[in-house]
Amino acid sequence: MTPSFADLGTAALRAALPLAIWGIGAAAYAAAKRDGRALASARWAALITFLLVASAALAMVGALVTHDFSVAYVAKNNALETPPFFTVISLWAALEGSILLWTAILAGATAYVAWRGTPALPRLGTTALAVLFTMVTFFLLLVTTPAADPFVRSEIVPLNGNGPNPLLQNHPLMGLHPPLLYLGYVLFSVPFAYAIASLILGEGGDRWLVATRRFALVSWALLGVGIVAGAWWSYAVLGWGGYWAWDPVENAAIMPWLVATAYLHSVMVEEKRRLLRSWNLSLVIATFALTILGTFLTRSGVVNSVHAFTQSAIGPLLLGYLVAIVVLSVGLLLWRMPTLRDAGAVGAPLSREAIFLFQNVVFVAATLTVLLGTLYPLIAEALSGAQLSIGRPYFDRVEVPLALALLFLMGIGPQLPWHGASRATLERQFTAPIVASAGGALLAVATGLGGAFAVLTYALAAFVAATVVQEFARGIRARRTLHGESAGTAFANLLRRSGRRYGGYVVHLGIVLVAVAVATSQSKTVEIERTVRAGDRFDVAGYTVSFNGLRDVKEPQRDLLVGDLAITGNGADERLRPALVFYPHATQAVGSPGISAGLRDDLYTILIAYDTSAQTWATIRVLVIPLVSWLWLGGAVVGLGAVIAALPQPKRREALRPLAEAPATVGD
Amino acid sequence: MTRERALILIALLAILGAVAWSARPHDPTPAERVDRITSELRCVTCQGLSVKDSPAASARQMRDLVVQRIAEGRTDDEIRDEFRASYGDWVLLSPPASSWSGLIWLVPLVALVAGLAVAIGRVRPATSSAAAPSARDLAALRERVAREEALDLPRTEGAE
Amino acid sequence: MQRWLRLSIVVGITALVVVLMLAFRRDPRDIRTGTVNKPAAAFTLDRLDGAGRVALADHTGKVVVLNFFASWCIPCKEENPALVRVWERYRSSDVVVIGILYQDSLESGRRYVRDNGVTWPTLTDEDGRIAFAYGVFGIPETYFIGPDGIIAGRHIGPIDEATLVAAIDSLRPKAAR
Repeated sequence: MTPSFADLGTAALRAALPLAIWGIGAAAYAAAKRDGRALASARWAALITFLLVASAALAMVGALVTHDFSVAYVAKNNALETPPFFTVISLWAALEGSILLWTAILAGATAYVAWRGTPALPRLGTTALAVLFTMVTFFLLLVTTPAADPFVRSEIVPLNGNGPNPLLQNHPLMGLHPPLLYLGYVLFSVPFAYAIASLILGEGGDRWLVATRRFALVSWALLGVGIVAGAWWSYAVLGWGGYWAWDPVENAAIMPWLVATAYLHSVMVEEKRRLLRSWNLSLVIATFALTILGTFLTRSGVVNSVHAFTQSAIGPLLLGYLVAIVVLSVGLLLWRMPTLRDAGAVGAPLSREAIFLFQNVVFVAATLTVLLGTLYPLIAEALSGAQLSIGRPYFDRVEVPLALALLFLMGIGPQLPWHGASRATLERQFTAPIVASAGGALLAVATGLGGAFAVLTYALAAFVAATVVQEFARGIRARRTLHGESAGTAFANLLRRSGRRYGGYVVHLGIVLVAVAVATSQSKTVEIERTVRAGDRFDVAGYTVSFNGLRDVKEPQRDLLVGDLAITGNGADERLRPALVFYPHATQAVGSPGISAGLRDDLYTILIAYDTSAQTWATIRVLVIPLVSWLWLGGAVVGLGAVIAALPQPKRREALRPLAEAPATVGD
Repeated sequence: MTRERALILIALLAILGAVAWSARPHDPTPAERVDRITSELRCVTCQGLSVKDSPAASARQMRDLVVQRIAEGRTDDEIRDEFRASYGDWVLLSPPASSWSGLIWLVPLVALVAGLAVAIGRVRPATSSAAAPSARDLAALRERVAREEALDLPRTEGAE
Repeated sequence: MQRWLRLSIVVGITALVVVLMLAFRRDPRDIRTGTVNKPAAAFTLDRLDGAGRVALADHTGKVVVLNFFASWCIPCKEENPALVRVWERYRSSDVVVIGILYQDSLESGRRYVRDNGVTWPTLTDEDGRIAFAYGVFGIPETYFIGPDGIIAGRHIGPIDEATLVAAIDSLRPKAAR
């Protein structure tokens, strides 16, 4: 009897588990005794573990593609009529598959550290490898026990499965958002592992931080882009016209990202000034703990949300893992605190390091606010039995001022030198940006942007943009003076040779785009709802919407009721098809919006209700959402900036003055 | 006053004026009241969306009820209390500032202020002990600072 | 400075963990309505079969079982046989079952009533106001109103015969007096 995909997957996972356990021992022994053979065996264990888990993931894809309904996961998340693309991405459609994906990525990161990280920093890297092996072991325990075993067999093999959740097969973005998010989450295990290793070894220095700088940047970027992809999915699929609702699971993703952003900046302070050592360790621990907390909130069933996976035994296990991590990390940190001395102090309040410190405080305050808001209903109910909701009005009201403060700090921080600046320097540098800021504020008022916060956003966005342009101009001027390059070449070389700095500026520009997009779309969206018959038309914000009737569309895995709309005016000529989608096993239809994206306005249409007996009328909601496309654009720019910052610098050093060789880093 | 300072002053005044203009108080129109109230009410059949955002049928019916109550002349609080009588505090997306659950509005402020206080406490201006550099040294230092800032080359070993 | 910082971190983390552990005890889908133990909202609604109107006041002194349902609601279909049996058992006494159609068209509602053998009075709540007045979250939902007009209890989700009988019987002795 040939083994099925499920058999292969199960076998692979069960073989990987003892290997991972062996890896912990081998790596720990290799680090303690500096034993080369133990290290070699740990390396091979890491590689083979990764290959096994990856094979298990591929086996699950195989089981999905061959519609093997003897596997419970396939029966619940796949059907014969599910299109191939959505069949494949069902790997991460539900709990067990997504844990398997997580484990595979983690095993991959472990193998990478085993082969690239340990040669560069033998003792630190090997200890970090041992830490990573313990994490892999935990997740392998999850997938080889009933808690999250993806290959558990169905009790009765159905003739046809349920198919994926309707919301998860409505849009190809499902192929992008979860993998990006998981990569971002999981890759943060590496800086965390190095931080823990550094604490275990009592190093007290900065090597762990320098070694994992690029890893942290990459995982931050992936998590950030994954969050933007999630917002885009919410916008394009959930059909309510918005992109962020402060849903508990959205919050679960943004909390580690906020802390990771603070970390990326304070890393620079530690590198340049050898300060904030214990703070940086705390940030890394907090970021990693928040990724686990996020996973816990998403999967344990304790909060109700769009992503709510059903309650399973995995909840208490993840909570236990979280507790263990937090207790051990904090314990280690407090134990080693005496060895973590700062090499000096933050000098002047108007210096780059001071601004970074303030920025860190704001980020942490923002994260704590999101955490408290998300957990508050749980706390209140546990303590007093009262049932509360904390939603958009609370989060928006509290987070917007903090975000504006961050925009402000983002503008002045890069402009200030390390160690402090004089009054004259400040005046010279900030005149143009402040004037630009006034221009932004006046533009906001002129375009009818309502609300003080929106006007402030425009003002600060202009401020930051002006400072970035100024910085690029200075850099280009400096290169032209020193190397005689043309402006274009200078610009390119700034990005190539000083990628960290100028890539960072590109990221800031991306954030500016996002801020402007959010302020404009929140403040100037026009919404109208009409009940119409075929042939009716109505106007909204300068556009004319004509309704041309309803029609039925049959697809293999679903039925659609589509409303045909034509939108003209303001230079637009679009056909939009908002629909209600009926899946065989769902009780209610899923709305699918008809969207026309534009650089200036998005036209967003929803089919709200219809005449169920004769389909003679329909209720249509039309939103004209300005500048929301700049959100996705901004996200892409942030990703681009991160790539520029993460790229290794050209090896050929420029003849300016002798430099010390930079040591090999993980990720070079 | 130098030219720069004058420009900065004018710009700051312009920003202040723009913000004040956009924040000017005005009586909300009925439509604005509906939007505000519905954005604070939770759609009971959804996963946390507000009545304003949700396209669900129950949300639209709630909205119609709010519109009717506003036309009848009820205040915002009366309308919210009507829903609270049926659904409890759960139906409000933003905890009222008066009850002890209103504590949640204070916490972020306290965290921010406390954090800033700690941060400012750590900023200790260093006393200048070295003699002032000569004009030529100053010029050389300025040039070096300009070069380094433009190129951001690592000054210490071990940094990437 | 260091000591209180360490202490507050430890306390904060412990508090967080305790909260998360307590959170397991509750079902996030169980929301308590604010209308239990309050007077039942009065209503006068049209019958689905068009044969006039029914008011809650018509049935004062009786135990009223108010069931919110719709044709698109699969659990409603599942609980229907239990309701049918209970109705058969109690219809000749001082108990009345009333069905209220929720978020559904009249036609679909009538078809559901016909296809599922619903013989108790069924009413339509077109603008959803009565559902709001009772605090309906989603269907099926069943409310138990005592002879004194107070909502004695509420059940979310499909209900079974045993729960129905227990609730009705707990309210009936008052009526018999």
